Amino acid sequence: MKDYFMSDVLVEQGGFLQGKEMKSRKIRINNPDNDRPINIFIGTAVILSIISIFMLNIDWIMLFSRVGELAGVFIELSQFNFTNFDLVAVAFMESVTVTLLATLYSLVGGLLMGAFMARNITPSKKLAGVLSSYNSFIRAVPTPIWVLLIIACLGFGPAPGIIGLSFHATAFFARAFSQAFEEVPQATIEALQATGANRIQIFFSAVLPASMTALIAWSAMRFEINFSESTILGMVGGGGIGYSIAASVTGYNFGRAGISILMVFVFAYCLEIMFTAIKRRMKA
Amino acid sequence: MSKPLIVEHLTKSYGPGSLAVDDVSFEVKQGEFVAIIGPSGAGKSTILRCINRMVEPSDGRILFEGNDISHVQGKKLRDARRRIGMIFQHYNLVYRLTVMQNVMHGRLGYMSTMDGILNRYKEEDKEKALKLLNKVGLLEYMYKRASELSGGQKQRVGIVRALMQEPSLLLCDEPIASLDPNSSKVIMDLIYELTKEWNISCIVNLHQVHVAKEYATRIIGIRQGKLVFDGPPSELTNVMIEEIYNTSMENLMINGEVRAVG
Amino acid sequence: MADKQKHLPLVDGGEKKMVTIAFFVMLALFTAATAYTQFNPFTILKEQSTFWNFITQDFLPPDIAKAKGLWSAMLQTLGMALAATFIASCLAFVFAFLGSGTTAPYPWLSKIIRAVGSFTRNIPALVWSFILVMAFGIGTSVGLIALTVETFGFLLRAFIETIDEVGSESLEALNACGADYFQKLAQCVIPAAIPGYISWFLYCIEVNIRSSTIVGMVGGGGVGLVLMIYIKSFKYHVAGAIILAIAAVVILVDLTTNWLRKRVLV
Ligand SMILES: Nc1ncnc2c1ncn2[C@@H]1O[C@H](COP(=O)(O)OP(=O)(O)OP(=O)(O)O)[C@@H](O)[C@H]1O
Ligand SMILES: [Mg+2]
Repeated sequence: MKDYFMSDVLVEQGGFLQGKEMKSRKIRINNPDNDRPINIFIGTAVILSIISIFMLNIDWIMLFSRVGELAGVFIELSQFNFTNFDLVAVAFMESVTVTLLATLYSLVGGLLMGAFMARNITPSKKLAGVLSSYNSFIRAVPTPIWVLLIIACLGFGPAPGIIGLSFHATAFFARAFSQAFEEVPQATIEALQATGANRIQIFFSAVLPASMTALIAWSAMRFEINFSESTILGMVGGGGIGYSIAASVTGYNFGRAGISILMVFVFAYCLEIMFTAIKRRMKA
Repeated sequence: MSKPLIVEHLTKSYGPGSLAVDDVSFEVKQGEFVAIIGPSGAGKSTILRCINRMVEPSDGRILFEGNDISHVQGKKLRDARRRIGMIFQHYNLVYRLTVMQNVMHGRLGYMSTMDGILNRYKEEDKEKALKLLNKVGLLEYMYKRASELSGGQKQRVGIVRALMQEPSLLLCDEPIASLDPNSSKVIMDLIYELTKEWNISCIVNLHQVHVAKEYATRIIGIRQGKLVFDGPPSELTNVMIEEIYNTSMENLMINGEVRAVG
Repeated sequence: MADKQKHLPLVDGGEKKMVTIAFFVMLALFTAATAYTQFNPFTILKEQSTFWNFITQDFLPPDIAKAKGLWSAMLQTLGMALAATFIASCLAFVFAFLGSGTTAPYPWLSKIIRAVGSFTRNIPALVWSFILVMAFGIGTSVGLIALTVETFGFLLRAFIETIDEVGSESLEALNACGADYFQKLAQCVIPAAIPGYISWFLYCIEVNIRSSTIVGMVGGGGVGLVLMIYIKSFKYHVAGAIILAIAAVVILVDLTTNWLRKRVLV
């Protein structure tokens, strides 16, 4: 076997090595072409973020000087006040039921719209395009804004929350589900077409079962988001546990605010644990 | 040192009641090429991993280059590991990095923390890497991502990475189990020739008895964690193979034909 | 569908049973929730004309000219989202090493870190901002910290999962080479996890653009606050213009992050 020395190697490798190595007289080990996009991205992100932080004009000294008060707030919140707990419970139940109904309604709506939007099974490509841009618009406006608009025209109660949340979640599901449907292999669909099955049969016996795992994962994820959103609604004018938190804080009833926040946390935490377990089981 | 590795009464249990490795003792001389064979689950990987302490032995001693390394920790453990190369069935490369970056990882054990983090490898080490890459036929791939290589090429990167450690002992855990017959031969030839060239002792876990017979200067047979055979390939009779695998020859897929090593 | 059995049995018996059970559970929950809230879905149909009248007459045409300070407020909202995501990812970057099973140096510390992450992410940003207002008073800093706190919890879990997925095999190889802890992070974990980190960072940017608008509505400043002022004073034409502007910016950000995913994550 011929013994190679550095000079031979360089001669043999020609332009590539010379261009990238000879300048520094060092042997490169990375490939700058691989790293460049990520380096540029990180560099830009860091610069823009630092500019943003300065732009926000935050009084850091004041913030740090008040960290002690934050601890005080937590202590006050943790002195739970159980008087009129039934009101908190009712508000909490309202948030949970609003979440549930909004998720279920938007699940149905999203499945329907997703089926029409998925390019491989839609009856009309034009309709798919229209639906897709409509949904992009709906998703682009944050949920609480929709709720505010509906409150402005329908008045208060759980209805605006359910409708507003469903509005946004349907658009979310439509996009997620249509992507899941599009990932179903064409062969599966064609196999059924060959047996003479019609569109609806193909959807229910091939597309839906094949994308079931993705649908469950998306639904679980959206359920968590919906709960967090339904908590928020109360703070911008809707009802539910969010209202209980906002009202208790503004009324200096920190004990009740604390217990409301704890309920939100515990419920969200249980959802997280439950859905993580389900996801793990589906993967295995 | 003529005996770089002495394994004494090595025992490992992963849980109460079951012994993955049961009182195994053997020695490896400088430059020896040892193959470990045995059925699946016999404890081959566990033995190999106990030697460089990727797995903590439950009992027994590992003497490497005269030092007992069975209980060392921290810097001392890393110092021992950097002299023991390891080759894996699944290559275990960092696939987003270039071939060259992966290969240089073999030098980390010899560098300060900072130099290692900042890629400040010595130029002579890099030149050595180039020579080795050239030897295994991967020089033109040096700036490719490891993910872009074929299985056989990935394993060659793994070999070069291990050799960059300047090891006195090379551990190979089923290096050819995921490769096609042609790449398998290339890899086994490379391991054989390179360890011979630098007089490195080598222990290879193998599933293919004929490969073990072909390359090894010594074969160790393991069955249910126990050492049941230790001798030259010529002594590994069919009766012995049946004993190791606990079944008759008809039930084993063994390519009997032996080819001289070039 | 009488001829269903003729098709390929894509769903096995056990799974079918699960689906049936899930369906009935959902039906029961639906009935209970409907009874509790007295929500009649047909109100939408009944009230549809009111809604559309409201939209078409009160909101349209949007009056962008009167929306004073809209774009500087928008910039502030964008800045808040970016700054919060950035600070949260820096923190999560460090703590994910301590929290992930494959890289944690101390198991007890890893448990504490995961618990903190779970606490901060399961309380919505808006609730955080209420808590923070009690300590710091109203201002952009509250919005920023609230977003940062929630995002940190979310990214911590995401980054830990990323490390868990990329880690163990190549880490084992570096262990065998005699590399020390920080060398392993720099040479193996970070290079392998970076695409995952960036992908989650972009996702959080998308989410936080929306959240920072909302946090603004309750006093965090930015475009949310401006919108709230116009809604509360019933100037719906201006509010309509602001909503359209928000939608446009969010869509623009989504397009940008999608483009970045394709360009950067190769
Ligand atoms: N991390 C572990 N935890 C618990 N048990 C283990 C672990 N690793 C291995 N074992 C058990 O130890 C025994 C020996 O395993 P080992 O992987 O060493 O066998 P092997 O001979 O390498 O098998 P193969 O040829 O399939 O690789 C097996 O019974 C296995 O189930
Ligand atoms: Mg093994």
